[in-house]
Amino acid sequence: MPIRIIGDTNVDFIGKRKYAFLFSGALVVLGLVAVVMMTLGRANLGIQFTGGTLIEGYFAQTVDIGQVRQALASGGFGDAEILQITGRQQTNFFLIRIKADPVEGTRKAQTVLDVLKQFFPDNAFHMDSVHEVGPAVGKTLQSQTRWAVIISLLGILVYITIRFDFRFGVAATIATFHDVLAVLGIFYLLNREVTILVISAVLTLAGYSLTDTVIVYDRIRENLKKFHRKADFMPAINRSINEVLGRTIMTSLTVMVVVVTLYFVGGPVLRDFSLALIMGVIIGTYSSWFVASPIYVEWENRSAKRFRSA
Amino acid sequence: MARGQTWKIGLTAFLLLGSLWYLYPSASLWQMSSAARDEMAQNDPKGWIDLQKKVMKLGLDLKGGMRVVLQVDRSKLNPDEAKDAVDRAKEILRNRVDQFGVTEPVIQVQGQDRIVVELPGISDVARAQELIGRTAQLEFKLTESPEQAQLLVDRIDRSLEAAAGVDTAAETPPKTDTAKSEKKDVLEELFKSDTARKRAESLQTAQTIPDTGAVLPPQIPKEKPLSSLLEPAGAMGWTVLKDEVPLVQNILSRPDVMKLIPPDVAFAWGTRSQFMGGTQVERLHLLKRQVEMSGKYLTDAKPSFDQFRKPIVSFQLTREGGRIFARVTGANIKKPLAIVLDGRVESAPEIQSRIQDRGQITMGTGSSYEDANDLSIVLRAGALPAPVTIIENNVVGPSLGQDSIHRGVTASIIGTLIVFLIIAFYYQLSGLIADFALLLNAVFLLGVMAVLHATVTMPGIAGVVLTLGISVDSNVLIFERIREEMRAGKTVRHAIDAGYARALAAIIDSHVTTLITALALFIFGTGPVKGFAVTLFWGVSISLYTAVVVTRAVFDFRKTYQTLSI
Repeated sequence: MPIRIIGDTNVDFIGKRKYAFLFSGALVVLGLVAVVMMTLGRANLGIQFTGGTLIEGYFAQTVDIGQVRQALASGGFGDAEILQITGRQQTNFFLIRIKADPVEGTRKAQTVLDVLKQFFPDNAFHMDSVHEVGPAVGKTLQSQTRWAVIISLLGILVYITIRFDFRFGVAATIATFHDVLAVLGIFYLLNREVTILVISAVLTLAGYSLTDTVIVYDRIRENLKKFHRKADFMPAINRSINEVLGRTIMTSLTVMVVVVTLYFVGGPVLRDFSLALIMGVIIGTYSSWFVASPIYVEWENRSAKRFRSA
Repeated sequence: MARGQTWKIGLTAFLLLGSLWYLYPSASLWQMSSAARDEMAQNDPKGWIDLQKKVMKLGLDLKGGMRVVLQVDRSKLNPDEAKDAVDRAKEILRNRVDQFGVTEPVIQVQGQDRIVVELPGISDVARAQELIGRTAQLEFKLTESPEQAQLLVDRIDRSLEAAAGVDTAAETPPKTDTAKSEKKDVLEELFKSDTARKRAESLQTAQTIPDTGAVLPPQIPKEKPLSSLLEPAGAMGWTVLKDEVPLVQNILSRPDVMKLIPPDVAFAWGTRSQFMGGTQVERLHLLKRQVEMSGKYLTDAKPSFDQFRKPIVSFQLTREGGRIFARVTGANIKKPLAIVLDGRVESAPEIQSRIQDRGQITMGTGSSYEDANDLSIVLRAGALPAPVTIIENNVVGPSLGQDSIHRGVTASIIGTLIVFLIIAFYYQLSGLIADFALLLNAVFLLGVMAVLHATVTMPGIAGVVLTLGISVDSNVLIFERIREEMRAGKTVRHAIDAGYARALAAIIDSHVTTLITALALFIFGTGPVKGFAVTLFWGVSISLYTAVVVTRAVFDFRKTYQTLSI
């Protein structure tokens, strides 16, 4: 006999939609706040978006962060942001971030490295990576990213409308938008850096989480063909979600496994990227059950053209 | 065998062999130890180069190296020049980079006026940036005579003093002492301020709108404001203390001062600062504006040493250039000829005799043979048609790259393995079929990447892993559907057919939506993001074939089933 993780269930997804809307509403607000903060430059945005200099590296021997701060201040970098990163292979791992300078542009890194060499002559600083971005480039990238998100959402709207109908399309797009905002919002809350990779992860998820949504919609469409009475509408939707519960969980699980492995084993470069994917998978699956379908239900409930089968 | 199964098996086998064929070079190269590689490079150079061409390149984030984005400033060019300025700049940069000796550099135009330069494995970043960013505009100019130069400085002094309201007529000897002590105070002031920014700010605040009669920054002495900051250095012009350079620049850029400078001369700073008696100084020259000869007449430039063991660049001129140079040098013997590079004076040696078509550029004091070599490189490759600025600079150290590869590959293997096990456990024998398809998916994807000569980046590796997690979903959908049909009472054969038929719609939908976002990422992304988008795109597309067609072919091996292990 086949193994089943979810037997025949009967969870009232639609009935609980008020709680879902509340929770999702909170996530969306959080996300909007995050986006506003990012545009204002007050959130933890990657260097590619803000411009500036980012130097990562480690010292051969133990160094106190205060000493590093002093060293940089003496070289004229008093306003540099210095972070000591623990939990890496190398101890004494530091992250130095300097705001963008429209005049100096992108020649600061070498100066910083020279200053460190001067201040710590016996304790070599191994540079792991340097990223310098002029301020103008950052702004261009921000706008390009916004376009990428908008075009993706539009593409999704068009495709779902073609395959199902306009209401499904709109509901799916809102759910996707909700997913993107929710992940950004949580990142903002946790003060994790939002880099171009994180945005890529979020966009990928946006596309991918539609898999679950489409699975549900597909089943809804099938089931709606069979019902005749008005009172059967919501139970039909509910039943649809319940029927596909097993597979939505299973598909999310396989991706989850991969992404969690990336998070723990993939190394520091991919950490934020994997985190965005993890959160995205969880939220994406949640929104297929509790956002995409209920929105469709609400719309149908309130419209004149009721209960058209898709 | 079911209808059409033959071609499915045939196609799959063909694709499999093709992928393995394309992956073989990369696999064999990565397996070779560095000793084996050196051996091959020596004994079979042609084969070695061929192998390199077929192998998938490692991106900068994995190999280490430098990636800069340059912006070409076309503002000062006329429309015709501006049109191909970027392409010309790209060619010149390519020449410079080739001579610098980097393996596999990448130089591409991006957008209208940007150039991306990737130099893998570079260790001396500052030198590379210098090499790339230099405009390398070489000009030869004559200098103004010291007497005339001093007259100009005195004139500037008097004008500034008048503007500040200092009574110069009543100057008495003791005053020079106070002038000196004032100067000392000024120096003390300067050494107290700790950042250049603060200094600039204080200069800013002290200055009102530049105008005749505007207030001078407080640090500039009221008497002989310019002369007191300049130390005469004979025919070479003057030296200025490094900390006082901004003050001199401030004076020289004032409109009322600029009006005093005759149209045929201009001030120019030296390329490098020097040490004189323990303090750092910069050179300042007064040159004639006329360009006597320029770098475009150079046919060759080589670094060398002169008879004093000082580094020089010896150059050769075209016949036209030789004629011009002979005329200029012949008419100005014993006078200094300034060698101006990008607006700064490299050196200004005295013309000893008439020079024809061969000459040498004496490098300024404090330069090394390496400087002469770098200068030769840029002179040989030619001057950039327009100045470039580095707007983006990324350097990845080699150790980070190695670490990343290791982790990326480990994560991929572990992740895939876990997915394998879960699917096999949950769907039993059918699960194994799905796993087989997954394996094919991975091999095909890597094969496609090899054919496309894609660069392997960290996000690319993540993309491969992610794709595998996603592609297995198609099989999940099919199998769940089959299970459902069997629960509803259908025979195994019918359940399988129904499962594939019904699940197909959802599979295609989910693939298309993922592809839409991959496309958006590809269009709007740069570098590593593009790499990720490409692996995602191909991985998802390929999975349509492996998850659906291939597994179906396997199921179709038997016409009827009694039971199905699913």
